Amino acid sequence: MKKSLFVIFLLAVFLTAGNVLADTPKKGGSLVVCQAAEPQGLDPTGNTAAAIDRVVFANIYEGLIKVNSNGEFIPGLAITWIVSGDGLTYTFHLRQGVKFHNGQMFNAEVAKWNLERAMNEKTVNPHPEYFRVIAKMETPDEGTLIITLKDVDALFIAHMAEGDAVMLPMVGYKGAKSNPVGTGPFRFLKWVRGDRVEMARFDGYWNPELPYLDKVTFKFIGDASAQLAALKAGDIDVIGGIAAPESAMSLSKDKRFKVYAGTSTGEVIMSTNNKAAPFDNKKVRQAMAYAIDRQAVVDLVMFGYGTPIGSHWSPSTPYYVDLTQKFAYNPEKAKALLAEAGYPNGFDATIKLPAIYSYSKRAGEVIADMLGHVNIRLTIEIVEWGQWIERIFKKKEFQLTMIGHVEAWDIGIYANPNYYFQYDSQEFRDAYAKALKAPSEAEKAKWFGKCQEIIAEDAVNGFLFSASGLPAMKAEVMGWWKNYPTIAMDCTQVWLQ
Amino acid sequence: MVRYFIKKLITLVVLLLLVSITVFSVLYVLPGDPAQIILGLNATEETLANLRAELGLDRSFWVQYLGWIGDILSGKGSWSINYDMPVYDLILSRLAVTGPLALMAMLIGIVISVPLGIYAARHQNRPGDMIVMFFTQLGLATPEFWLGILLILLFAVKLGLFSAGGFPGWSVDVWGSLKALLLPAFALGVIRASILTRLTRSSMLDVLREDYVRTARAKGLRERSVVYVHALKNALVPVLTILGLQLGQLLAGAIIIENVYYLPGLGRLVFQAIGQRDLPVVREIVLFMAAAVIIVNFLVDMAYASIDPRIRLE
Repeated sequence: MKKSLFVIFLLAVFLTAGNVLADTPKKGGSLVVCQAAEPQGLDPTGNTAAAIDRVVFANIYEGLIKVNSNGEFIPGLAITWIVSGDGLTYTFHLRQGVKFHNGQMFNAEVAKWNLERAMNEKTVNPHPEYFRVIAKMETPDEGTLIITLKDVDALFIAHMAEGDAVMLPMVGYKGAKSNPVGTGPFRFLKWVRGDRVEMARFDGYWNPELPYLDKVTFKFIGDASAQLAALKAGDIDVIGGIAAPESAMSLSKDKRFKVYAGTSTGEVIMSTNNKAAPFDNKKVRQAMAYAIDRQAVVDLVMFGYGTPIGSHWSPSTPYYVDLTQKFAYNPEKAKALLAEAGYPNGFDATIKLPAIYSYSKRAGEVIADMLGHVNIRLTIEIVEWGQWIERIFKKKEFQLTMIGHVEAWDIGIYANPNYYFQYDSQEFRDAYAKALKAPSEAEKAKWFGKCQEIIAEDAVNGFLFSASGLPAMKAEVMGWWKNYPTIAMDCTQVWLQ
Repeated sequence: MVRYFIKKLITLVVLLLLVSITVFSVLYVLPGDPAQIILGLNATEETLANLRAELGLDRSFWVQYLGWIGDILSGKGSWSINYDMPVYDLILSRLAVTGPLALMAMLIGIVISVPLGIYAARHQNRPGDMIVMFFTQLGLATPEFWLGILLILLFAVKLGLFSAGGFPGWSVDVWGSLKALLLPAFALGVIRASILTRLTRSSMLDVLREDYVRTARAKGLRERSVVYVHALKNALVPVLTILGLQLGQLLAGAIIIENVYYLPGLGRLVFQAIGQRDLPVVREIVLFMAAAVIIVNFLVDMAYASIDPRIRLE
């Protein structure tokens, strides 16, 4: 008895000591990360694909501002930024002595050149509008960049922290698509087309403590079961986001692995053509909102790995307002509203689902069943991605579709009446303009909240859920982000136990 | 012979030209704007126009087509939008995976099927034959991706003898690359073997009923030499024909198996390129595949003609 007590005591001491050791990051080691989609080139300033940002953003490239795993804006290449009282002038104090991987120095001149490149008339940056708000830029010395805006822009800092605003060197930027050069903690080694991208620790990184890893390899495995097999066989260490949520459950029960059910920036919505009958009728859209049991959608489509939403705003983004109870599941009310709108016997409609996204197809089937209960009979049509872009997105030839919008802070798409769901509301445009010009945090919260409420009330689209990022990894991988508040798989602080 | 050769050569060139026009125009009218796919749903109209201009998509059909043909004839080829490298190099690097994979799969198929087929033919309707026939039936009914996944589960996940997929590259690790192709080649080969076994068996049975085989037996030749020396040669002719067809098929891309084992092969390249509208890649690979078939046919025609003078005179 005494002996076993002693053993327990020893074990307790040993285990605590082990835990202390386990919390101290260790240097060295290499990591293989799997991602489903291969990036289309490695330049985030010329292509918006999330697959690119997930590989290079925060690993190879950095911007003035970074986002940490809690979604907060933290210093990147700028140590501080001071906003003037009128919200028009931003003074960035830049980090000194920062080198690009090719040996060039980063300074205010380079930062200015990068921002100008994104906004000039020949730009192929997916979002020149992020930068066009800049009226002028001054560089009083190497370490200071003063930006004056044309107008107050509440999202300016958020935009500067996205992949579209990373800093490239003035010499060597042209090869960015296949030979990226940045200031990040890892330098690019090679891209074996169709298979992997390799990067190694950059010894000249401005933070000498980081990164912990010597080498990171991104491997591209599209098939969900192949991803799992590779993880179990030990070929890869991390799956950036599990493609088949049903496998997350069994993996999380296995002691050798861990799965994080964190949040992401994306919203999966049933996009609704607001100009196509009968969906031009607000009552019909509200009836559909009542007819959808969001929690059930999350359970059936994502096996519970997601959060229901009531508007076009992810719970992981600041200023979130929970509007999921605005149209709480109530099929009776839905039927009543449909009758009021002049469809006592329901109607037939078509939902077009993009073939490349399995969540979209699954959610489409679940929604078709739910709407069927209130006599909205949906025909499902699966369309290839190029077709989706052409027919649905550009020509707006659709009634309903299902898609995930992954960019954070993208509620502004509702202010554009020509956007594919064709929502036209002066009230929303006014609220959004006020939000962008809000001088204080409280005002921002108020007006971004208002924006969320207006589109929820108008039931513009079927707001369904924000999916979990679902990263899965070996138990010894430490420091991987639980949440994905920005589109990146930041390996800066990842280490191996 | 020379006239025949020139006639065939002209046909070859005209055919290739027609294929190139067809491929180009089909992809030209294909819905899905590459610029929009690259820049995403929230891109501005202005950026889209800039990118279209940069990719040359704003030029007229004939300007684009002639530019492309010019690039091909000058040996330059096109440039991949997504991979940012010459499509020629891309095809070559992918063939270095798909080619050996197809050859290994066929080799495995032959090694399994020919002895089994002969055995089954010689033991027709006896238990051995029945067992072989049962397993080939099973093989025919097995989807190759499923077999591929089973092999991964057994050899990679349970036993840890192989990696679950991927390809290290010939220049990095020759033995590892060979090993990486073994499981997928086996998955492909076993399924092919089912067909080839049945074919070998029936073809062997046909031959064994021929008069010359009876003569050979009547002459007192040993059964072994009757089967393996005299009958086998003739029995393998139809098998070889099918083998050639299947090899062509495998080279054109074992898309599904390449996906299961995430091998950077030709099939997966086309598949991805279509989804991402990397049109220069799609165009050139389709043209390459068509050209391969046309040129092989041309060579076969030439070979027949040199053997058989009747063909030349037609």
